[in-house]
Amino acid sequence: MFDKVEAFYRPANVREALRLLQSGKGQARVVAGGTDVVVEGDDSVRFLIDITHAGLSYIRQRRAAWVIGATTTMAELEESELIHALAGGLLSRVARWCGSALVRNLATLGGNMANGSPAADMATPLLVLDAAVVMLDARGRRKLPLAEYLAGARTKRYSKSLLVEVVVPEPPDGKGCRWSFQKLGRTAVDISLVNVAAGLQLDFRGRVKWARIALGAVAPTPMRAAGAEQRMTGRVLDQALLAEIGAEVAREVSPISDARASAEYRREICSVLTRRALEECSAHAECSL
Amino acid sequence: MKTMELHLTVNGKSLNWSISPGELLLDVLRRQGYFGVKRGCEKGECGACAILLDGKPINSCLMFAAQAEGRQILTIEGVADGGKLDPLQEAFLDHGAVQCGFCTGGMVLSAKALLDRRSDPSEEEVREALAGHLCRCTGYRKPVDAVLAAASRRKNRARRMKVAGEVAR
Ligand SMILES: Cc1cc2nc3c(=O)[nH]c(=O)nc-3n(C[C@H](O)[C@H](O)[C@H](O)COP(=O)(O)OP(=O)(O)OC[C@H]3O[C@@H](n4cnc5c(N)ncnc54)[C@H](O)[C@@H]3O)c2cc1C
Ligand code: FES
Ligand code: FES
Repeated sequence: MFDKVEAFYRPANVREALRLLQSGKGQARVVAGGTDVVVEGDDSVRFLIDITHAGLSYIRQRRAAWVIGATTTMAELEESELIHALAGGLLSRVARWCGSALVRNLATLGGNMANGSPAADMATPLLVLDAAVVMLDARGRRKLPLAEYLAGARTKRYSKSLLVEVVVPEPPDGKGCRWSFQKLGRTAVDISLVNVAAGLQLDFRGRVKWARIALGAVAPTPMRAAGAEQRMTGRVLDQALLAEIGAEVAREVSPISDARASAEYRREICSVLTRRALEECSAHAECSL
Repeated sequence: MKTMELHLTVNGKSLNWSISPGELLLDVLRRQGYFGVKRGCEKGECGACAILLDGKPINSCLMFAAQAEGRQILTIEGVADGGKLDPLQEAFLDHGAVQCGFCTGGMVLSAKALLDRRSDPSEEEVREALAGHLCRCTGYRKPVDAVLAAASRRKNRARRMKVAGEVAR
């Protein structure tokens, strides 16, 4: 494995990293934590570019947004006070689900997104938080919605770009806004069979003012359940509506069967986890169902 | 094949190795004689290859060796103090938490990193720290008990040393 690798670079800034990536003629590979690159074991790689020295390990609050550098590790997200203060610590909680403690000391947020896996656990909470990514390519920096980035992450579209940072705008505030992440895996440290993130804001009468539902491992990319979100808005979240939303979500997803689970099972689990997520959100919102 | 230099510290010793740029850290450590670093699944699932990198547990099979440039590595070979076992190692022996020993080095290292950070971990925290380690022999009860026992032994010793210090004064 990796017998053809001729050079291992450690660029000290993103410009240099980009230059190396572009001069690699498609045979250069960015390495952040390495946990996906190594397991994938792509034999054609000739140049490795370790970007962990390029100044992309940071968590900052910039104006009304949270900005997370691409090489920030899952372990750092778990510990960060700033991240604890965002959406009830949702991203810290989800980071704890990303493999074992050993994996989380290496695995980075940027790698989780750039790898483009439909099961990437950080993708669904970030979709729920309306996150964007900042990309750098030959033309310069560009900010684009995470959903748009994820749709192309598995293709070659961004193969000559660097993911610089993830930007999370200030979520809608008010006491009614609550968050949940639900994951089903074979073991506590396995990747998701299905994962669901939700964000919910209720008005004082218990009606849904704002809702976000995102699902992972049930479509080619992590996805928002836009139909279900719309259907909920303005209505009181009771058991009947929960059942309706569960069914709607199951219609919106397009899971596959693989070694871990069948498509039918995944579809069923989508309903169950979505209901659990919404129940958790509304329980915290102190609104009885 | 191309080679490059790797400078790092292993078990307190400053070293300078010649590696290939695409080699994995696990392979390099074993080639250099650190056989306590075990080769198991080679994909991050079993924890047999665990080492501490700057004090934090990681899977050496998931990393390129070149990523370790300038870093501090602790392998299980460096845990005992000369011939004297670490209290964690003693506790694993006392609790029958070692059978074939294949998983033990990694488990001890993850436990050590936990205790260095949290002197009084809950059982939940111990289980969470060991969740990346698979054992085919003893199961998990005994290692968990061993780590909890080592934590309280460490604490008692620290307390005794503090008391002794106060008495001496
Ligand atoms: C045992 C094990 C368990 C795992 N469990 C989980 C889990 O529960 N949940 C989960 O979501 N994932 C899991 N993973 C997958 C993996 O650990 C994560 O996806 C991780 O976040 C990847 O980050 P990395 O830094 O290691 O990525 P790397 O392997 O370094 O990179 C991944 C890909 O992204 C590219 N890349 C990385 N950073 C950038 C950047 N800034 N710009 C452009 N391209 C970039 C690389 O070239 C590569 O193609 C697991 C992996 C293993 C081995
Ligand atoms: S050999 Fe590295 S985790 Fe199994
Ligand atoms: S003691 Fe044999 S694998 Fe754990």
